[in-house]
Amino acid sequence: MNRRFAAVALSAMLALAGCTSSTPVAHDPGRVVRPVKQVSVPGRLYATKGRALYRFSGTQLTRLRFGSRVKDPAVTLTGDRVAVAQLQDQSSTIVVSDPNGQNRQVLTPSSAAAGSLWAFAPGFDRAGHRIVYLTDRGKQPSSPQNLQPNDLGVWSYDLTTGQSRRLVQPVAYTGGDSDPGYRPGVSDQLIYTTYLYGGVPTEPVARLTWMSLRTGATVYLSPETGRNFEPALSPDGRFVAFIRAGAGSDDLYVMPLVPTYTREPRPYPSESAALIQSGIIAQPVWAPDGSAIAFLMLTKGSFDLFILPIGMDNAIHAAGAAQAVTHGSFLDADSRLAWSP
Amino acid sequence: MNHSPATGVPAAPGSHRLRWVALGAIALALVLIGGVLIYLSPVLALLEPHDPSPGRVAGVPAATPPPLDSKQRINILLLGSDNDQKFRQDALLAQTMIVVSIDPSTHQVTMLSLPRDLWVEIPGHPSAKIDLAYAQGGAALARATVEKAFKIPIHYYAWVGLNGLVRVVDRVGGVDLDVLHPVLDDNYPNDFSDSGYGTERVYLAAGPQHLDGRHALQYVRSRHGDLLSDFGRSVRQQQLLLAIQQRAAGMDLVTALPTFAKDLNGHVKTDLDLARLTQLALFMRDLHPADVHQAFISAYVRDATAADGQQILLADWTALHAYLRQLFGGDLLP
Repeated sequence: MNRRFAAVALSAMLALAGCTSSTPVAHDPGRVVRPVKQVSVPGRLYATKGRALYRFSGTQLTRLRFGSRVKDPAVTLTGDRVAVAQLQDQSSTIVVSDPNGQNRQVLTPSSAAAGSLWAFAPGFDRAGHRIVYLTDRGKQPSSPQNLQPNDLGVWSYDLTTGQSRRLVQPVAYTGGDSDPGYRPGVSDQLIYTTYLYGGVPTEPVARLTWMSLRTGATVYLSPETGRNFEPALSPDGRFVAFIRAGAGSDDLYVMPLVPTYTREPRPYPSESAALIQSGIIAQPVWAPDGSAIAFLMLTKGSFDLFILPIGMDNAIHAAGAAQAVTHGSFLDADSRLAWSP
Repeated sequence: MNHSPATGVPAAPGSHRLRWVALGAIALALVLIGGVLIYLSPVLALLEPHDPSPGRVAGVPAATPPPLDSKQRINILLLGSDNDQKFRQDALLAQTMIVVSIDPSTHQVTMLSLPRDLWVEIPGHPSAKIDLAYAQGGAALARATVEKAFKIPIHYYAWVGLNGLVRVVDRVGGVDLDVLHPVLDDNYPNDFSDSGYGTERVYLAAGPQHLDGRHALQYVRSRHGDLLSDFGRSVRQQQLLLAIQQRAAGMDLVTALPTFAKDLNGHVKTDLDLARLTQLALFMRDLHPADVHQAFISAYVRDATAADGQQILLADWTALHAYLRQLFGGDLLP
């Protein structure tokens, strides 16, 4: 009986204390919502929500019919072809299509002798002849009795010959590498994130990594501790936007990148990077003319699409406030953005 | 003319009206109380005693919860188990053990993860991995084991199964998490298959993202692709607790509590009473991420092999207790 009285008393307390929240938790509305004052998106900006592909252009929003669940859109420099990771139940493949999702071509296998395969994060080179992507192809068969690593490595696919080859062998049991992208303006450089463990006590580490495809040499661009990830190269290849995990935040930084490194630079370039936007931010991508960076930012419980103008006079900096392209839309923050003219 | 039946004195004008008003007020109050009871019935059902052996283990210090109006520290032992079909439901291992310590005087919360492979004395049983205590004696023995080994007074416990965790996360509308590493697991246990023995492939990209209950469970449960193994999993579990707290902080408590309780009945067990639950919920609402501290004992344990060949963790108890005194001050048991 005391329990009953306590219930009543506490309910009254709660009601009187005004426990109704002034900022209610946002729930996924199931569709892309745009703010009342719509931002006009220059060119064509691709994002996914609920594993469906959307294209923002001007004030137009188009849902592209891919016929299945997709993530990680990529687009050629001219915008004439789109690549995505097409998801099946227990596997995924890289698929290329025209900008409307038609004339699809599956590039990578969904299974091999070792079992089902993942393929994610495609990225075109400047000429649109090659695609760099992530896959667990080349792994050993694994079972609960004989566990084997299945970390993601970086591979490339030649669209003219149809040949794939491994570019980076991942470190086992780290989750592998991530976020690969060709450096614009040159044909033989790659940037990606290497996932490792480091520090005392040991903790997860993410390092920005530059690779020469000519020699296979790699150079770290960020320190051996901390997490710096999701690098995105500017269209001229001179700058790298990336995310740095801080205390309770994932902030957007930009650092310059010299043409080549002959040895590991100290201090690391990431240490002198400019903070461009604070918040919980994911998946930066540059505008085709380098005048802005789009990203997803957690706002009131929802990941939404923002565009931040970038200035380059004297030093790189934010040239204004980030503008919201969507509002309360719960876009897929684990899926890359792509932006073409 | 109206007269008072007792005195024969004429009743004051309006006294009948007052009586009716009073009766009406009582009736309204009864209806309101009844309504509140019906409304809160799922919460009350959730808080009914669950543990078949809730008593303390003889000879082990038992912590009495401080009064509601006290500023004393409150420690809650969070227990998590694989409770899918392949396990006996009355003998589940506690694969997750986290002490959540709430200090109302400083408005700080500390989460301390206890590794499941830690070799400890289990009161009344042979020494074993700490996760066995819950399987052998329910929450009471798990609590007594933690109190004896760590000298942390445990005032309450809360146990959650796999489905319970998924439901909690879905009920708060999913969680926003920064996934520390890509999660790849070709042999992730398919918890919700008919047999409980199936496996499925799991992939979670690294970085900030929104996870629903099923994917949040995959994030905290997978360990095949993590070099830090169980310690890595402890870090992820604490991350998830923080994310749930941040999400729940924006919820409307009055409407959320009964719905929550209805969803969770059967998937969560606790000896928290309604008054304490409400007090803690109100406390957590005002908590900022900076007020929550994550603690691990990885620096005070080492790998070892038990006599029966099990891979275990042995603690340097002297150093560990010194660390715990830093964390909990004078609030440890003697």
